[in-house]
Amino acid sequence: MSSIDLFTRLTSTHKPDCILSLHGPAPEAVPDPEQMARALGSEAVSVYATACRPIYEDMRRIIGQLAGLLILARLTERPEMADLTEMKSCQSRWQDAAQRLGTLVAPPGLDRHKLQLESAHAFSGRVMGTFPELRAGNVNGAQLDRMSVQIKRAYAHLNAASSVKASLQMVDFSQACCSCDALVAAR
Amino acid sequence: MADYSIWVLEYCYVSKYHKSGVLYGAHNQGYVKLPYCYVVIKGRHHVAMIDVGYNDKAYGKVLGDRFGVANWRDPKVVLAEVGLTPEDVDTCFISHAHFDHFGNVEDFPKAKFYIQEREISKWVWAMSLPDRMRWMMVAVDPGDIVRGVGLAADKRLVTVDGAMEDVLPGIDLHSAPDSHTWGSMWVTVRNDGQKQSEDTWVLAGDLVYQFDNLKSSGAVVDVETMYTPVGLAVGSQTNLILATEEMMSQVRYEARRVIPIHEERLRDAFPSRITNEGLRVTEICLADGEESKVA
Repeated sequence: MSSIDLFTRLTSTHKPDCILSLHGPAPEAVPDPEQMARALGSEAVSVYATACRPIYEDMRRIIGQLAGLLILARLTERPEMADLTEMKSCQSRWQDAAQRLGTLVAPPGLDRHKLQLESAHAFSGRVMGTFPELRAGNVNGAQLDRMSVQIKRAYAHLNAASSVKASLQMVDFSQACCSCDALVAAR
Repeated sequence: MADYSIWVLEYCYVSKYHKSGVLYGAHNQGYVKLPYCYVVIKGRHHVAMIDVGYNDKAYGKVLGDRFGVANWRDPKVVLAEVGLTPEDVDTCFISHAHFDHFGNVEDFPKAKFYIQEREISKWVWAMSLPDRMRWMMVAVDPGDIVRGVGLAADKRLVTVDGAMEDVLPGIDLHSAPDSHTWGSMWVTVRNDGQKQSEDTWVLAGDLVYQFDNLKSSGAVVDVETMYTPVGLAVGSQTNLILATEEMMSQVRYEARRVIPIHEERLRDAFPSRITNEGLRVTEICLADGEESKVA
């Protein structure tokens, strides 16, 4: 390999902890249902956005749960996460999301949006599937590193599928320290 | 002798926040200004912060348009008012995981973060509950937990189980389980470094929003004053009151030494100034040899 080839390869190869080092569709900004509805005025878009909400909510929770469990697995060096009732709930929710994704029909122009949801689901599934492989003690570094990248990638995909107007958003602000007069006035 | 300087730095605000959110039971009593702040503690060769605010890139438009949050400024701009940069910060104590406290870790690349383990584990539990119990997930961004994964991988996240003494010299962490959140935490600075300190400051996080939580009229129960908890608790108001009592006992019931960070009236109790950005810098105390940043 010539030095120029090596240089090209080094500058174009993602570091192991980069979420783009994983194969699959890129997490990228895609037209959201609100934008598409403005452009198309389609009832199908509205139906799609409504159908997305429970999937998005499932994914938001799954990713949050898995991230929290990853932190605890890393810092406590205890492997029992796979046996927790919280993990069972996570698995059940992931299965529900799989079924809903299976029946989700994306109108023309929103197939890329659906792909982001599917990718979030796929990467979170990989993380979930690795928890049973963890062992007691400080021996899981490589697996935890890989799971960390995967969960970040899952989040990036879900974030790309977010849409405030379609009520696909990461944070429920309704009781936050900012629910103020603007909200009251809007009611 | 004082080891640490402490400043409360406003990074944005809500002009009109419903008072019942600040003060439990204060229904139909109008609105108060709610500053969003973080705390900087500087001394003993450390720069520490309590909470890191939120990232405007992620939430700014929603918060501005829907909730009237105004005048958000980047930590670079905010910290410059006390002569610091985000890179100077080596330690961050996260009082709880709400987005406006834990939502900007990426802007502090050299800091080690401390949070209660219970705050993480109980959020995981809350997220596992059925949708009809979704209220318990309020104001938490899964993205902040995901970023916590990165911090843990980099050995920059420490989960604390309960109290932790001298996490920095003279600085202690205390937990208030099942109160404002599942694993809320407050920070105590013993500014003379003594175990039985004569110069203690309590940085209350969201366990106390404003002075009224520490001292409000007790006429209704025929006492002069009493504690009234904040409006929002995923745990219980009882636990907020118990935490308040413990915080107050640490400062020998000198209420001005318990610092609420959503309190506009800090200006009446401590020296402060408004910056060119329209945000307040409040100087709680100065370490020996430190120059005032509000004079």
